[in-house]
Amino acid sequence: MKLLKLLGALTIVLTVTGCAVGNTYDYQAANISLPVKGDQSVGLGVIDNRSYVLNGDKEPDFIGLQRGGFNNPFNVTTDSGKPMTEDMLSALTSALDSNGFDIKQLEFSSSDSGLIASVVVKNGEAKNIVLTVTDWKTDVFMKITLHYDLLLEVYEKDGVVVATNHLYGKELVGGGGFESQNSKAAASAFETKIGRLFNSPDIIAALK
Amino acid sequence: MKSIFRFFGLVMALVLISGCATSLVSDVDPQTDLSTLQRFYVVKLPSDKRGVQSLIVDELRSMGKEAESGIEANAPMPVDAVITYEDKWMWDITMYMLELRVGIRDPKTNYKFASGYSYRTSLVRKPPEEMVEEVLGEIFGNKNKGE
Repeated sequence: MKLLKLLGALTIVLTVTGCAVGNTYDYQAANISLPVKGDQSVGLGVIDNRSYVLNGDKEPDFIGLQRGGFNNPFNVTTDSGKPMTEDMLSALTSALDSNGFDIKQLEFSSSDSGLIASVVVKNGEAKNIVLTVTDWKTDVFMKITLHYDLLLEVYEKDGVVVATNHLYGKELVGGGGFESQNSKAAASAFETKIGRLFNSPDIIAALK
Repeated sequence: MKSIFRFFGLVMALVLISGCATSLVSDVDPQTDLSTLQRFYVVKLPSDKRGVQSLIVDELRSMGKEAESGIEANAPMPVDAVITYEDKWMWDITMYMLELRVGIRDPKTNYKFASGYSYRTSLVRKPPEEMVEEVLGEIFGNKNKGE
């Protein structure tokens, strides 16, 4: 009887956590479509400004939570094993590159505006795109909820910001399913939000 | 003995819950007024052998829009928007559409300014015509949710 109980408990644990542990999503596969085209050389950087990463609570490759049968959370990380913002930078570089821009990647050690300006000035590109990610994570149980706070800024070569667009919120982006389906939904949400950030008259004008 | 019944009850509940999962979401760029779009071109997926592109065209026409489909990635005629889609099917006694993802794009830049997604597992399956209808209905009825 004890053995039966043990097997039952083990089965429950496997049932409710089997699909929840060790999930990874692939943001590099995101196929971002942007409303801007160009042929100039542009600097591009993505900054991880998520409080739970900066304070060490989560690793830089953290991209969300997958909940088990008792609503117990498990970390979801990047498929590449790289920091999330590196995957985002890679996807964004591909998108801008395919729209004609010549991308020079920039590295920032913090979201401090003075530091960003100094990197931009040192880089010397006429236009520089900086995406600051203050929040980005999916939370998956029966549904997929996205928490996001994204700031897109265009800097000129003198370090002055000439256009900004800020999107933030918490919204439902799909139904929770298997890992591959959730990964696709998360990448699709990323495609959508990045497209929205660029589809601002100020941003489009600044990149012309 | 009671604990065994409880255990099987929990497993059955999990199985039933996962068998009737649905999701219907859409996202429309607040800069876009979908009501101004009249002419559409639906890009047929090369792998689509079930004619989902025709279902989308039919649904758009029933909504009073002009719509054509084809295999070219870029619309061969002037249109207000290009529609792309992805469908996924599963087998459970018969084949059924598990999920449908639709994107509406700017024909000049390919920018996806609106999207919709429906997911229905076996117990709550719908015919593909109705999946198309609910996704397009969700997109065109969207009031910029989440913005």
